[in-house]
Amino acid sequence: MTIALQVLISGLAAGGVYGLFAAGHSLVYRLTGIVHFAFGDLVGLGVFATLLVLAGTAPVTQSGAHEPRFLGALVVGLVLCVAAGVATYVGIVQPYLARGSTVGWVAGTAAVAFAIRAVIGAAFQRSSYVFPDPLPFHRVGHAGFVRVAGAQVEARAFFVIGLALALALASAWLLERTRFGRALRAVADDAEGARVVGVPVDLFVALAFGLVGALAMLAAIAAAPGEAVNANTGTLLGLKGLVAALAVRFGHPLRAFAAGLVLGVVESAIANVHLGSWQLGPSYREVLPIAFVLLLIAAWPSREALEERE
Amino acid sequence: MTAASLARTGTELRRALAEARSGWSPAAWTAAGAVAVAALVPLLSLPGVRMDSLANTVYLAVVATGLGLTVGAAGLPSLGAGAFVAVGAFTSALLVARAGWPLEPAALAGAAAALVAGLLSGGVVRLRRAFVAVSTWLLAWLVWLFLLAFPSVSGGAQGLIVPQRRLLGLVATPTVHFEVALALLVLSAIAVAAVRSGAPGLELSALRQAPPLATALGVRLGRRRLGAFTASALLAGLAGGLSVQLSAVADPTAYDPFLSFKLLVAVLLGGAAATLGPAVGVALLGLIGLASDPLARLLQLPIERFDTAVAAVLLLFVLALGGGGIVPWLCVWLRRETRDPEPNLQVTDCYKAMNAPGQVALRAEGLRKAFGGVVALDGLSLELSGGETTALVGPNGSGKTTALRLLSGTEPPDAGRVLLAGRELSETPTHERVRLGLARTLQSAASFPELTALESTLVGRGVRRRYGGAIRTALATPRSRAEDGAAEEAALEALALVGLEARAHTATPELTTSERRLVALAGALASEPKVLLVDELAAGAGADELERLAGIVQRIRARGIAVLLVEHNLRLVRLVADRVIVLAAGRAVAEGSLAEVAESEVVRSAYLGAQRL
Repeated sequence: MTIALQVLISGLAAGGVYGLFAAGHSLVYRLTGIVHFAFGDLVGLGVFATLLVLAGTAPVTQSGAHEPRFLGALVVGLVLCVAAGVATYVGIVQPYLARGSTVGWVAGTAAVAFAIRAVIGAAFQRSSYVFPDPLPFHRVGHAGFVRVAGAQVEARAFFVIGLALALALASAWLLERTRFGRALRAVADDAEGARVVGVPVDLFVALAFGLVGALAMLAAIAAAPGEAVNANTGTLLGLKGLVAALAVRFGHPLRAFAAGLVLGVVESAIANVHLGSWQLGPSYREVLPIAFVLLLIAAWPSREALEERE
Repeated sequence: MTAASLARTGTELRRALAEARSGWSPAAWTAAGAVAVAALVPLLSLPGVRMDSLANTVYLAVVATGLGLTVGAAGLPSLGAGAFVAVGAFTSALLVARAGWPLEPAALAGAAAALVAGLLSGGVVRLRRAFVAVSTWLLAWLVWLFLLAFPSVSGGAQGLIVPQRRLLGLVATPTVHFEVALALLVLSAIAVAAVRSGAPGLELSALRQAPPLATALGVRLGRRRLGAFTASALLAGLAGGLSVQLSAVADPTAYDPFLSFKLLVAVLLGGAAATLGPAVGVALLGLIGLASDPLARLLQLPIERFDTAVAAVLLLFVLALGGGGIVPWLCVWLRRETRDPEPNLQVTDCYKAMNAPGQVALRAEGLRKAFGGVVALDGLSLELSGGETTALVGPNGSGKTTALRLLSGTEPPDAGRVLLAGRELSETPTHERVRLGLARTLQSAASFPELTALESTLVGRGVRRRYGGAIRTALATPRSRAEDGAAEEAALEALALVGLEARAHTATPELTTSERRLVALAGALASEPKVLLVDELAAGAGADELERLAGIVQRIRARGIAVLLVEHNLRLVRLVADRVIVLAAGRAVAEGSLAEVAESEVVRSAYLGAQRL
């Protein structure tokens, strides 16, 4: 029971971050019909830009962050992340969409992904870095751990879950209630129709590319101090988001978010839960969900995922 | 072997030689020369070039040549080619290291394992390209994360040590590996070229350009694409299984998703449309790697990071130029005079009368289909007879196209059944119905923009081919080549039937819209249908064209084919229809000659509404 609670809470914290990546993937797919292979790396770019402003490329200790400086660094990272997202849409995605070249945008976004990873890896050459923590979680409870119903849980987990939920709900509100959101939903339904009634489609889609990056980046930074980060961090988060989004076939962003939460809990359960003497173990944590979703999409594709026939 | 069969084999061989001699172009001379020079490379000692990395590059070129089938011919953006290389490499490495197998069977087992992996993940080829890209990307990550998570399989950080074995009875030096890799590259390039220029390549190309039209003409989407995908996987596994023996250690970090990306870059850089493009792309990436090595050292950057960035930037550059890659570009540039193929206008009459006149060819009973709450078709029954033209008319939304979809099997009916010459078709998929003699044209003016009129028509001939499989085509068996000629004659005759034989070698973009419609009709005719379902033949046709279209329908009917014409243009209906069925709100409300149904009260109210003008 205590283990189950621990698994659930740490899983939800990881899943909240996956969920925001999944929601971003889903929104991008619904707006443009493309899959954004550079999404995770663009967010990684923002995270490492923040780290660069905060502490340079030296390995950092937990106590390195001061609040005003942290906020400044965060703003720099967010601006870079949004700008890179917008630039990717304008420079890489839109031209190939207009030309109807699938291979073009697939290879283009993948190229951006690998180029960014190479740049991050060239600047941050160690195998891992510690992200400085602006919030004093280590003072809460026992060195950052609190007891909940007998389970030892990291205090940060609650913050990450709360922030991820808040961001997801805020973006849902943005989509449902604002003019911008309504316009985006119109584009997702019928881009040509939206263009005819005067929605500046390219501008709004470009902004959406930037915004989903910013949302995912906030969640990634909230969770970052908990674990070591390296050039692969963003890539892997983007991958997890893609797995969750694909599991719901790029459905509504909130469904994709929920799928992300589930993925987090499943991963955590695979790594920690044992039934009697039988246990999967951490080795299976990453490969099993990917294999499952691949099998799902290959064996039971939805109608709209299938190649267009008559 | 009997003397007769020996003589036949001799004749075939002589014919093949003659064909090879007539087809031996300057390009072939160049390629043969390049291979001969490449085979002698180990004799030279080139500064800064290591034999083992050269051999590895050639193995990579084999993988890329195979990937050309998936990316170029099938048009599927695969980001997972490296996964199959890894599967082949680790299967082969484990068999040698743990089970003590000799090299050659271990490499073949690696190829077999990659083939199995390709079949297991092959379901994704039925998906839209965006989903193919995601699935193959996930596959690349899955295999890499698996290798990282299970050091017991992959040897962990040190990798798996592979003991040296003899290759083809020789000490497996880098030079031996290089020659083997080169031979493999030549063989795979020849096979890929044969497949791409033959029937499977034509069908893959049709599927790439207009999936709905290709599947309506009876092309089997899943099967053809799976063939290309698994052939790529097989070559990747074989090359991976051989190259891992050369490096003597299977290192999981060498098989990260970047390998897959690099292979895609090579294919696009060299040109996916050309068979040799991918190999040229790999060679170019290798050269760039050689040049960037000192530069990276100068900038004190880790070399693998530098290579990644260079490959990514290079790809963005090629994509921005909008070009199809280096080899296709060179081909256009080098081709000074294009030799126009002479239109072969010997139209032979090879069609038999399909049905005995008056015999019922197709019967539909109580077809019903609802979409959500909307009943599109409400119990339609009809009979089509050989040598008779039936017109299905009715206002928009009365269920005409739905009826065609149910008849051709692209939608399953909610109730009712379809019988073709007495045979129940309920469980029969579209391509099988086409093969059984139930062909259909589409309402949309879809076409294959990269094919000529004759090639587009040949796509429809595919269901009649018996020796058009990928393996027979790759081996260019005599039967397969004989069938090529017969198929072309049949396609030409189908084109003549719609009056387009003079346009046979015209590229589709130069055809008018109504000509493209007729080419699609010729494609359906080339499948030798007993029953032909024609959707909106006269859409967009001018008044002067109606006579011509009517003539075509009459000629088709005269072949004994049962024709069902879904038509808005009542003038065409008047010119050709023996019988008219009027649909309204999913029901047949009248049937008879045009004059009879025109008098009907029900028909008038269906067409004009309850209010009279």
